[in-house]
Amino acid sequence: MSELEVETRELDDVVLLYPRGFINAHTVRTFEGEIQKAVDKRRFKIVVNCSRLAYIASAGLGAIMGAIEEVRGNGGDIRLSELNETVANIFEILGFNHLYRIFPSEVEAVLSFRDTERSGAP
Amino acid sequence: MSASASGGDEVRGRRPAARSRERSRPSLVLVIPSQTDFLALVRDVTKKMAETAGFDGGDADRVALAVDEATTNVLEHAYEGATDRTVELRFEDRGPALSVDVVDSGAQVDPRAVPRVDLERYVSERRTGGLGVHLMEKIMDSVTFRRSARRNVCCLVKRKAAPGGG
Repeated sequence: MSELEVETRELDDVVLLYPRGFINAHTVRTFEGEIQKAVDKRRFKIVVNCSRLAYIASAGLGAIMGAIEEVRGNGGDIRLSELNETVANIFEILGFNHLYRIFPSEVEAVLSFRDTERSGAP
Repeated sequence: MSASASGGDEVRGRRPAARSRERSRPSLVLVIPSQTDFLALVRDVTKKMAETAGFDGGDADRVALAVDEATTNVLEHAYEGATDRTVELRFEDRGPALSVDVVDSGAQVDPRAVPRVDLERYVSERRTGGLGVHLMEKIMDSVTFRRSARRNVCCLVKRKAAPGGG
């Protein structure tokens, strides 16, 4: 069994990533690679649906941080949804909940990009 | 595995050597190759040890994360990615606290050289290092580094909640 699988879907101009399993120093390249694929295709609106993400170590958080400047610099964002208690707690410990927008559901995360477009805010 | 969880101080009357041995005996020693493939095993064993020591699921998950981070630091910094070395993890239930020593024989790493984490700067400067030590310090009650017998020892300690103290 693979420790991490990342499915990808596209919904209009939003890329949805579905990591399933564990993101640590061993598996982070897979996760990083999927973020990079979206960036390479100039798809800068990214939602990471964490409903099947059991665990994330600092390597995974580093992967998000490593891409965020380019993504935001191009008018996009990396937003997260459906964090389980363990993952949400790790985000809180590091203060990532203040740096990234986190939504209870995938729909809300996707719609937040529409709201951004409507208001013209970055 | 948790034989030392209680009664560790009830050794009066024994010979000093026996007492010394008992006190220094870890509950469990795990030696892994210096390969990231084994991080999942480290996490699973740590979580189980923490639960056996009496931590609830959430705390056990966090302790497992801290030990994962300490092990990752060894693989990336002390061993600089070399995969032919070993990392030793010593778990000890000391009664009021769980202690985990992460031991390597790699290059001496000065933990004081790790920059303090400033998240805003991390984002603006695209820095991604140093988060692991920050997480370890946030999760554990004590994180200490020492050099002993040409080995690096990172000692992580998590106190248990006082009885009835939530």
